[in-house]
Amino acid sequence: MSIVDADIAFVAPPKPTGRRVSRKAGDHSWRYIALGLIFPASVLLFWQIAAQQRWVSDVFLPLPSKTAWAFVTMVEKQDFSHDFLASIRIVGQAFFYGSVVGVLFGVAAGFSRTVERVFGPTLDGLRHIPGIAWLPLIVLWIGIGAPAKILVIAKSVFFPVFLNTLQGIRSIDRNYIELGNVLKLTRGQQIRKIVIPGAMPSILVGVRYGASLAWALVVVAEGLSGQEGLGFLIFRAQSLLLTDQLLVCMVVIGVVGFAIDRSVGILQRHLLRWKHGFQG
Amino acid sequence: MSRSETLSLRNIGKTYQIDGQDLCVLDEISLDIAGGSFIGIVGPSGCGKSTLLRLIVGLDSQYDGVISLGGETVVGTSLDRGIVFQDHRLLPWMTLEQNVGLALLNSTLGQSERKERVADLINLVGLRGFETVFPHQLSGGMAQRAAIARGLVTKPRVLLLDEPLGALDALTRVRLQDELLHIWEIERITMILVTHDVEEAVYLGDRVIVMHPAPGRIADDFSIDLPYPRDRASQEFTNIRQRVLIAMGAYDGSRRRAA
Ligand SMILES: Nc1ncnc2c1ncn2[C@@H]1O[C@H](COP(=O)(O)OP(=O)(O)OP(=O)(O)O)[C@@H](O)[C@H]1O
Ligand SMILES: [Mg+2]
Repeated sequence: MSIVDADIAFVAPPKPTGRRVSRKAGDHSWRYIALGLIFPASVLLFWQIAAQQRWVSDVFLPLPSKTAWAFVTMVEKQDFSHDFLASIRIVGQAFFYGSVVGVLFGVAAGFSRTVERVFGPTLDGLRHIPGIAWLPLIVLWIGIGAPAKILVIAKSVFFPVFLNTLQGIRSIDRNYIELGNVLKLTRGQQIRKIVIPGAMPSILVGVRYGASLAWALVVVAEGLSGQEGLGFLIFRAQSLLLTDQLLVCMVVIGVVGFAIDRSVGILQRHLLRWKHGFQG
Repeated sequence: MSRSETLSLRNIGKTYQIDGQDLCVLDEISLDIAGGSFIGIVGPSGCGKSTLLRLIVGLDSQYDGVISLGGETVVGTSLDRGIVFQDHRLLPWMTLEQNVGLALLNSTLGQSERKERVADLINLVGLRGFETVFPHQLSGGMAQRAAIARGLVTKPRVLLLDEPLGALDALTRVRLQDELLHIWEIERITMILVTHDVEEAVYLGDRVIVMHPAPGRIADDFSIDLPYPRDRASQEFTNIRQRVLIAMGAYDGSRRRAA
């Protein structure tokens, strides 16, 4: 038997699709979507009725329609996009720096017990001072501008990413490292081909958590210092009793947070498509 | 290239520590394996077969005795000595193609030659059409075949096979046994095959080693002089198979019962 015709002897393989297992049937059917809309629609309806019937004062709860108009006004007259983008920029940069440094430190500590020993206790201590508690000090040092917020939020992203990366690396099956030795992979190849992909599920858990955290923190940070951003707007609206604008900010924050989480979820699903049955 | 390097094991002993207790797994194993021979190793579960292969491939240096290949003492792993692990050990995050190609990462071959070689090997083990599939989408037997492809792709001088055909159906098994023989005859590499299937060992090996457990040691060493390809139904074949089974103690129980 020759090397080339060997495969004929085997049962012809069915064309593999290479797709991950499809999600539960009916996942994207109208029924499924409608089911998810029932509750928010009811809340909206109740809100409309409550405001219309003057069960609560307009100052506390403006009409949904008025709130929608407030959104249009803010976009057209008050340069809402400027504040919106300011927040996005801060979160984007903070998230980027925080997760990159987190992965780098995680890999270094995962590989070397010495590195872990040198930095571990310090980091473990710092971890318990919440990011926001750092803000006043940082603002004292470098002012109320964007860098202070980026620094503080990056710090908050760093820890979940760092800890999950470290844990992911430590929990890699030793057999895979052994395989790398047998195949004579260099240290760099071991890291790229075995360690990072093996730790990826864990890393992404940290990244997803860090992303949500970053978005939540930017609102707080902007509310505490500075003159722009969604966080600034929401607290200003409160002090001026512009409840409709306040609600607009809340909704936008919620929608963006939702979008961020879903995007990371999609990324997660793509990167972990090799994982049996993984659905994000 | 010379394929005549002898793999030599001198007084190999291996002890594991379990809860502070010493467990002697291999005791005084001495063996000379001529370059280019095909050795079958049989023995009961837990007698140290996998452990022995780990020592030869260089994954464990904590042992007594000396292992040498072509006169050179074996230190650490080398692309000269390949292994197909008992568990297939494909990386779950790589496609079949990438898994096989991983072994060539540090080869001197050019990009296109590598691709060609990976495709050849995948073809050889009958997995054409599954190149871009992840291991969790393969059956157990397909994963084992993929692991064999990865073991062969580097053209090692010595290939260690730890029950590589264990999870295969009878037909595929016979087919792959013939493929292994075929590769062995072409490449003249030294093959050491651990198996629980005595017939497989006798069909493939020019020598069959029988190990006994607790501590793992060599109990018997058969030269199989039958010409290839062998006829499993022939009188000589069944005779040798019978002798190997007796050496393994397969009939001890029944004889005792009869007495
Ligand atoms: N890492 C380890 N630490 C401690 N004991 C071990 C270790 N690996 C193997 N052993 C012990 O060594 C003995 C031999 O194991 P080994 O895996 O070599 O057996 P085997 O002959 O390959 O068995 P099988 O045919 O079931 O694969 C067993 O008793 C096992 O418990
Ligand atoms: Mg074994």
